[in-house]
Amino acid sequence: MEIKFNNVSYTYNPNSPIKKKALSNIDLAIKEKQINGIIGRSGSGKTTLVELLNALLIPTSGNIKVDEFIIQKDKKIVNVNNLRVNIGLVFQFPEEQFFNLKVKDEIKFGMKYFDIKADEIDNRCIEALNMVGLDDSYLNRDTFKLSSGEMRKVAIASVLAFNPKVVILDEPTIGLDSSSKKNLINLIRLLKVKYDKTIIVITHDVDLLHQISDYIFVLDNGKLVLEGDKYQVFTSEELLNYGLIPPKIIEFEKLVLENKNIKIGYRDDINDLIKDIYRYAK
Amino acid sequence: MNIIDIKGLNFKYDDKIIFENFNLQIKSGAFISIIGQNGSGKSTLIKILLGLLKCDSEIKIDDLVLNKENLKEIRKKIGIVFENPDNQFIAETVMDDIAFSLENLKMKPRDIRRKVKEIANYVGISHLLEREPHSLSGGEKQLVSLASALVHEPKILILDEALTMVDIRVRKQIYNILDDIHENKNMTIINITHDMDEILYGEEILLLDDGKIILKGPKEEVLLEEKTFNKLNLELPFMVSLSIKLMYYGLIDHLIFDMNEMVNEIWK
Repeated sequence: MEIKFNNVSYTYNPNSPIKKKALSNIDLAIKEKQINGIIGRSGSGKTTLVELLNALLIPTSGNIKVDEFIIQKDKKIVNVNNLRVNIGLVFQFPEEQFFNLKVKDEIKFGMKYFDIKADEIDNRCIEALNMVGLDDSYLNRDTFKLSSGEMRKVAIASVLAFNPKVVILDEPTIGLDSSSKKNLINLIRLLKVKYDKTIIVITHDVDLLHQISDYIFVLDNGKLVLEGDKYQVFTSEELLNYGLIPPKIIEFEKLVLENKNIKIGYRDDINDLIKDIYRYAK
Repeated sequence: MNIIDIKGLNFKYDDKIIFENFNLQIKSGAFISIIGQNGSGKSTLIKILLGLLKCDSEIKIDDLVLNKENLKEIRKKIGIVFENPDNQFIAETVMDDIAFSLENLKMKPRDIRRKVKEIANYVGISHLLEREPHSLSGGEKQLVSLASALVHEPKILILDEALTMVDIRVRKQIYNILDDIHENKNMTIINITHDMDEILYGEEILLLDDGKIILKGPKEEVLLEEKTFNKLNLELPFMVSLSIKLMYYGLIDHLIFDMNEMVNEIWK
């Protein structure tokens, strides 16, 4: 499913004294069936960008092409649900928006807005739970008594239940302990590899993107300032200018090169790094 | 002197026991990170200290027994910053929001304005005082929350996952403030966090699991307990993992938290 931003700008409260430009002239193409990372400091425009993608906001200028839909000012999308059914958006702290007491009702809730046959709904609930690694026993569990990691998975299942082609996760690991975080990272990888989803992860966590992303877009002050694969982005000298520091493992490798003129290469795994250090230091 | 003294704490939610005969002493002026998986009891402990959850055990905060009579006085001694600042804002401007706790203390309006301006200047948010809190960026919001927590000059500052949502620039700004209040104002800082890199900024670490203290002590000692961290599925900070592995290979002989120092030590 093609997703393309063409010269998109967005201003909050235009024509008012409190107007605020959130995005300026964004041109980007999301990589299909890949894990796309969108990173930038607070206020860089990350969340605005995804709300535009789902037509929750409409660009002040420019347009966004999502499959056959064009999201553009003064151009009404005839059936916006046909767009939204393919763009599953999991907000920050999704569990704070739960209001159904049972897990199955929480998952069913989102499906009401889309044309899903009544006899399919129960099956979809089970499938969605299984996709996030939870079994059928969770259907009747009390939503509010789940652990934080489980709540986050149920929130993702609620989106997967209507089978979107694209899953957008806004700060998915916030508030999760390291074990739940590892679990969620595996789930995101699985959504790409096994279920062919296009994933968009919005985060300020460089280590998370270093672990999972295929392609990264860096936003700063409403502009797209850098894009590329994780090595291109995280080794860029410009990164610090945008309030981001590279993942620790890359920072270390850069420092060794700068201070000792030793090129130990870029490694994803700390054990590989240790082997290289041992080889060069011995 | 212990600023927090908990003896024999018992607490349960419905039928689930969270703490059983739990004891904890935190020294005045400590900078301690509390870590543990979700459900280990971290947040419950803080709610108990704030008197938001009732328990019958003996708890003293700055020598005051935590009970209904002392609760107001105890809350004056504590400032807290939560993970999601949006849940904390109540006023229409940043100025009014920071002033809120001082108004509750019945301080004179002139003194309130002076104190708010002082703390805003200290935290670096003077330019935001007239803004509406919800219009701020995530990092700015968290700085406002920090100013609100500090304005009444508490003896204890609690950060409950407070740095999770902020970018590196604001994070550094907050670390500098924490260093200053710790060193120059002798404030006790308790940082509850899931971000294992954050624990390198404190002096001590308290590791909780299932309502029990598993490890407590200076970070240099606690962080050497790699097996315990692995057992609890907790990832050690990058610099600690690297140090431990390099110690195993004999390339260094102690934990090194600073990257420059580490590189110089390996290739000295």
